[in-house]
Amino acid sequence: MADKHYRLGCDIGGTFTDFVLLDDRTGELHINKCLTTPRDPSDAVEQGILELQERIPGFVEELDEVIHGTTLVINSIIERKGARTGLITTKGFRDVLELGREIRYAPYDAFAEFPEPLIPRSLRLEVDERVRYDGTVQRPLDFDEVEAVARELIGAGVESIAVCLLNSFENPAHELMIKEAIEELAPGLSVSISYEVLPQIREYERTSTTVTNAYVKPLTGRYLKKLASRLESLGSRGKLFVMLSSGGITSVETAAEFPVRIIESGPTAAVISGQYYGKLFGLPEMFCFDMGGTTAKSCLIQGGVAGVVPTFEVGRVQRFMKGSGLSIQVPVVDLMEIGAGGGSIAKVSRMGTLQVGPESSGADPGPICYQRGGTEPGVTDADLLLGYLDENYFLGGEMTLDKAAAEKGIQEKIAEPLGVTLLQAIWGIHDLINETMAAAAKTHIAEKGGNPKVVTLAAFGGAGPVHAYGLSKKLGAPRLMVPPNAGVGSALGFFTAPRAFDLVRSHKVALAAADFTELENIFLDLEAEGKRTLKKTGAVEEITFERSVDVRFVGQGSETNIEIPEEDLGSARKETIRGRFDRIYQKLYGRTYPDTPVELINFRVRARLPERLLRLQKPARKKGQQKSAVKGRRSAYSGLAGDFIPHTVYDRYKLFAGAKFKGPAIVEERESTVVVGEDATASVDEYGFLWIDLPGGG
Amino acid sequence: MMAKFDPITLEILWRRLISIVDEADSTVSRTAFSSLLRDAHDYTCMFTDRKGRELAQGTFATPGQSGAMALGIKNLIKKLPDETYRPGDVFITNDPWALAGHLNDVCVISPIFYKKKLAAFAACVFHHSDIGGRVSSDNHEVYEDGLFIPLVKLYERGEPNQAVFEMIRWNVRTPDAVIGDIRSQIAANHVCAEKIGQMLDEYRLEGLDDLTDEIIGRTEKSMRAAIEKIPDGVYKTEGIIEQMEGREDVVIRAAVQVRGSDVVVDLDGSSPHVNWGGNVVYNFTYAYVFMALKSIFDPDIPNNDGCTAPISMRAPEGSVVNCTFPVAVAARMQIGHFLTEIVYRALAEAVPDRVIAASGGTPASMNVFYGKRNDGRPFHSVIIRGGGMGASSANDGYYDYIFPANGANTPVEIFESDTPLIVEKRELLCDSGGPGKMRGGLGRRVVFRVPDDSYAPIPPVSLGIQSGRFRYPPEGLFGGKPGAKARFLINNRKGNSYGLTQLNPGDVVVMDAAGGGGYGDPRDRDPEQVKRDVAEGYVSEKSAAEDYGVYVEPVVEGEEKK
Repeated sequence: MADKHYRLGCDIGGTFTDFVLLDDRTGELHINKCLTTPRDPSDAVEQGILELQERIPGFVEELDEVIHGTTLVINSIIERKGARTGLITTKGFRDVLELGREIRYAPYDAFAEFPEPLIPRSLRLEVDERVRYDGTVQRPLDFDEVEAVARELIGAGVESIAVCLLNSFENPAHELMIKEAIEELAPGLSVSISYEVLPQIREYERTSTTVTNAYVKPLTGRYLKKLASRLESLGSRGKLFVMLSSGGITSVETAAEFPVRIIESGPTAAVISGQYYGKLFGLPEMFCFDMGGTTAKSCLIQGGVAGVVPTFEVGRVQRFMKGSGLSIQVPVVDLMEIGAGGGSIAKVSRMGTLQVGPESSGADPGPICYQRGGTEPGVTDADLLLGYLDENYFLGGEMTLDKAAAEKGIQEKIAEPLGVTLLQAIWGIHDLINETMAAAAKTHIAEKGGNPKVVTLAAFGGAGPVHAYGLSKKLGAPRLMVPPNAGVGSALGFFTAPRAFDLVRSHKVALAAADFTELENIFLDLEAEGKRTLKKTGAVEEITFERSVDVRFVGQGSETNIEIPEEDLGSARKETIRGRFDRIYQKLYGRTYPDTPVELINFRVRARLPERLLRLQKPARKKGQQKSAVKGRRSAYSGLAGDFIPHTVYDRYKLFAGAKFKGPAIVEERESTVVVGEDATASVDEYGFLWIDLPGGG
Repeated sequence: MMAKFDPITLEILWRRLISIVDEADSTVSRTAFSSLLRDAHDYTCMFTDRKGRELAQGTFATPGQSGAMALGIKNLIKKLPDETYRPGDVFITNDPWALAGHLNDVCVISPIFYKKKLAAFAACVFHHSDIGGRVSSDNHEVYEDGLFIPLVKLYERGEPNQAVFEMIRWNVRTPDAVIGDIRSQIAANHVCAEKIGQMLDEYRLEGLDDLTDEIIGRTEKSMRAAIEKIPDGVYKTEGIIEQMEGREDVVIRAAVQVRGSDVVVDLDGSSPHVNWGGNVVYNFTYAYVFMALKSIFDPDIPNNDGCTAPISMRAPEGSVVNCTFPVAVAARMQIGHFLTEIVYRALAEAVPDRVIAASGGTPASMNVFYGKRNDGRPFHSVIIRGGGMGASSANDGYYDYIFPANGANTPVEIFESDTPLIVEKRELLCDSGGPGKMRGGLGRRVVFRVPDDSYAPIPPVSLGIQSGRFRYPPEGLFGGKPGAKARFLINNRKGNSYGLTQLNPGDVVVMDAAGGGGYGDPRDRDPEQVKRDVAEGYVSEKSAAEDYGVYVEPVVEGEEKK
């Protein structure tokens, strides 16, 4: 095994497929990028590996692990390219999928559209069975009926079947019997049952999640199989892992069984690398902020751990409108995504005010200054005119930006109609997009019980470092960090991701009436299942389990998650659990009510293998003049001064560890530009990270 | 007026205000007790300036509450001198005439002070599942509807007024949930107050007066510009709303006068009070007239006092749309929700692409189930439902939604764990969507059973209903046909949808929601769409032939479906 010392991370995005190769002996990283091949994404993977091999001959044979993130699953849902899928459900409930939760997400809009269900009504069939809310059987399953229904779906040409019965989270017997029957009737046909996908209360959310899983299962399975065999034929003997939306990584087998779990696989890697930095630098609260061309994604990391939320919405028919997509309940890293990016379009609203985003011109045609036919002024145009970007050093000089065209566009489309100066307009665009992000960030941080005045902001993405200083000011954040090379920065997450799997089961019981010995069995069941799943990765290391339970006041609709560190719940005291709940509730909502009884709702287990360590390479500490890193000076806008002032421009690649300088400054690297205001101080640490301290934070 | 804010700062502050209310709104969904709030989102948060003019409301507001609050808070605050308010005060009221039209809608108002001066008010209305009283739509007087809380201080300078809390606690069936939800209201207002203070600090503003003028002024201008686009004139219509059999129907007459950028809706000639709970207070009538006009003219702009400025309404005092104390009002949505479709119908010729046909979710249906489980423990659950939405020139009607109000369903699995009842069905009803070039949305059937086995509750189980469309279906527009009527059956026999129904073990209750009206002549519908509707079971072969003139070959058993 000693010769297997490489790990390869590979992220298939909408436009590019990114590769990071890590040499575990030295911590050295190699990067590569090639265009994504949508028809068969594994084409790009092969191409990228072959290119890397030209640089590092023979590494493929020495691969220990290949870790993979993909947007394939989410795209096939958005584009409706999944399998022809059928649903088997309890008699009387085949329309649950289509009726949803029946809320109008835009109350004053009678024309607001809603998404079509993934399975048409004619392929949603029923069986006459019933389980009660407490798991007892009211009407037993009829095997002949199951067979007839399954045959009908198979006859209709379905490639995949979802099974979701009422109250099955309390008793899965009927779902398991149906699964067995289908497997007998049509061996090899893809089956997803709700008890295995999401054993949780609320039938619409459970059905929708199970159906989505079934819908993408055949294609995910085929794709992963193909990818594995391609890697093998290239000579790799390493294990293939897939990134989960919850931030862990899992085996190909598990990913193929529960593809709905890898839906946000791509963007999650950035968060995981943020977690790693949070731990590496011991940051108690960190706000990861990744701003690209179309959207900004951000996430609060507390104590080196990102929050995971149980819900996700996919394929919103109205962009960024909460409630206009398909609801899926799987653990997803708590990413907040808003329509704010370099391509966000600025325009004058009907109210006669400035509006920036959420519409975006993206990368193509992009903002006006790209000179690719874009006619709508965008954030990057403003950033250019404010002096933050260098028209001759965009993407390291690969692309020249047109300043005059950007100026003309903003003058005509924004400044004149609003009756403000050009300067007010360009600063307004920059400042407003920062405000939009800050407002969303504040809500997000508050919901997690964090405090924006103590967070360290970590900036990623092409536009992230340009806006990070302004965003920090608005949040009142005292410190800002920009890792070297934003691209690598996020892909590092593949190597630091925990190998973990999350499991949940619903079971409602009042704390006062709870039999802890009995509840311990739920945890043991979940742990056994977690163990089985992790063993599929071929792991031999010790598995650890983290238990938690969702608790609420009796009758309350929403739960608060509390940890259960006890190894045996049976020996725990009820007062201990209650005290833990009250402390967390108080922290989140200001006050708690110890006299009001509580109940337990969902039992959760995260099963994990020990973390693999990553040694970041420390760049050689070059003695030299900091001056040599100075590229020159240019005039850029300062919000504090309310005017253009001279900024020192640094070359990031020449800034050595220990370098220290004051704003106003601009630090340029190929993929991005860091703005340092005149009240801030920057320094470079031993890993090459840029740290910017702001005064008066807090 | 000299602009005190440049358009850019203004947008920044405006967004901040809305995000503050949304933050308060999300606090509610995490702290509230009843599923009507948490699962069904039947509540509205907003805040106003120090004169009570609405500045911003939560994105997921309920139109009836928000429209009524916008008027109500302004009137309440006008009446009270500034000295009434002290930091730490919290007011509470559920006066139907002052606010949202029935006792269940409880409003909590908190004055917000900045630098020791009154700066704004945070307010929220929650629909409480339980406010005591006789839970029925056939009450005669508001005294029967439940506990009436006049405007009183719930907290005085930060100290709770225990007498008020006790008074509430002893007048409701589920005191822990009601008090818990009131606490959630206080928390929501608290979030608003905190954040406003931070915003004023950050932007070094002394108060909100100038900002309010600016926001309201610009909003009003936008709303007026939209209204000006439609031709001047008086657009008249009449709406007939069914009553219990044997009683005279309610008639609503509406004359919508558009002159320049002003709209005056005159409801003169509408029926007098009814002797059951369907009476609507002025505020609530206005809310749904406003909902119609806002959705027609300018649905996207954020709501505030400027949206309502161009719209005035006259309703004769003592009529069913401007009822007077002390008539019963618990079921005011059964009439109030109709105002939106009546205004739509009046303006249909003028703005045919901006209106939808009548909806099966008008009025919303509400069921209250309460009683005792077999072990004597009480249960109490309120659920709300809509129906098929009306079609428009662009789309088939969606299903199933509450319209023009809003709210979500309660999951069957939650309902079954909250009560001893079983839900046997929740499914779309074939042929219930009104035929049209654009088809109305389908209605939905829900079937409840009271178990008679070892899970049987102690009889009786009480069922209170608010609903409608049992006799008159939602009408179509421009040649579109009506949707199917609603039905309420107990053991296959027609139930009384106006009284309180007592159920026994073994009883089966069927509730069919009405379908939406169609839009345009069904014969003009794309035959491929009709065929698809038949294949999916939305439309029967019979209706395809009779209503749409499309003949679909029945599928022979065993033949492969394509």
